[in-house]
Amino acid sequence: MNKIGLSFIFAFSALLQFPSLGQVKPLSAADAEMVKKSISDAAKSTVSLEAGFIQTKELSVIREQIISKGTFYLKKTRLLRWEYTDPFAYLIIFNNDRIYIKDEDKENHINIQSNKVFREVNNILLGAVQGTLLLDTKNFQCSIFDQHDQFRALLVPVNQKLKETISEITLFFNKSDYTVEKLVMREASGDYTRIEFMSKKINLKIPDEKFAIP
Amino acid sequence: MKSLRFLSFILLLFAVSCSPVKTSRLTEVKYDERNPEWESPFSKDFDKAMFKVTLDVKGKHLSGIALIKKTSDTSFHFSFANEIGMTYFDFELWKDNYRSDYVFSPLNKRAFLKILQHDFRLLLFTGSFNGKPTHYRDPLTLDDIYFYSGAHLFAYLGKENRKLTRLAGWSNLVDAALIGLEYNQGDFPSGISIINPRIGMLLELNLLGR
Repeated sequence: MNKIGLSFIFAFSALLQFPSLGQVKPLSAADAEMVKKSISDAAKSTVSLEAGFIQTKELSVIREQIISKGTFYLKKTRLLRWEYTDPFAYLIIFNNDRIYIKDEDKENHINIQSNKVFREVNNILLGAVQGTLLLDTKNFQCSIFDQHDQFRALLVPVNQKLKETISEITLFFNKSDYTVEKLVMREASGDYTRIEFMSKKINLKIPDEKFAIP
Repeated sequence: MKSLRFLSFILLLFAVSCSPVKTSRLTEVKYDERNPEWESPFSKDFDKAMFKVTLDVKGKHLSGIALIKKTSDTSFHFSFANEIGMTYFDFELWKDNYRSDYVFSPLNKRAFLKILQHDFRLLLFTGSFNGKPTHYRDPLTLDDIYFYSGAHLFAYLGKENRKLTRLAGWSNLVDAALIGLEYNQGDFPSGISIINPRIGMLLELNLLGR
């Protein structure tokens, strides 16, 4: 038997031994509603969240990756801090309608209402982490899948403007606490950005100064 | 990073004061029969490089990470995305061709993209193969400056290290383009600034890794 044949048999038997790798089941409408409610309830009881993250930007055409790392802070209701530490220091604070960016020694203040890109990014990030994106039927069509130890929510934009930038967003929720573990944002270009959250600290006190805009 | 800003500032002063290079301020080196050999730092054994990027154009400020990758002997790919990962530009460039894979819609302006293509061609596909140059010397810095009339290109070579430190040319018939290159160590630039004074564009690339 040639090498290709052997590789195929090996891959197939591996799938049989690890059924979870091959099984992604779409949930029925009733089950999907229950999962959405559980995610929404978990988000409601989350007052604050702190987590490390690894962001991987996949450049589809040239098959390259750009990897960034940092810490993420969220505090109810609309306070968000993204602190990138690698490959360089870069800070974004979303404080209600204001955005503050610190890029090395350069500081920038942006009003969210006047900047469409940041408004969309803010809505997506907050909505993803707080689970509200799943309920946003005006902008997304949502399907939920059962995938091993996670629920996978696939969000496809229905809004034409949003479609021009984002083709789909996939959120992976932990089955035990319904918090988001991973976000994959696929762009119209074919590129995608994967953000994986780790070392999550839920409802620990985060001082307001973390979100203060100078 | 601060020195790259200084370099950009110097280039900008230089650019707004004149056409790309005012040869009346330079000393022509006559009877120089040597044809200096130099080439873009992106030629030869270049594979790919990642940069921290800021782009200022017409009052808009964009920042993020860019990757320049050599995709064949005759082509480069340029991808530029913001820090959160959303793509601004994604294009493939040949010496006489261009393919856009994606451009963020607010930046998708034909004239601007043309200028960007020309500027990157000036940076990526340049070298002493442009013919026999006229040799000048800057009386202040003693840098050697070579003017290739056929390519409308000025190339500055450092007095001591003979590294390419500046390129001046035209993006099109009316738009001057100025490229500054600075080196911390090695032969590959740690910082590159591209200035297009007429459209008020300043693109700064700071090397993150290769």
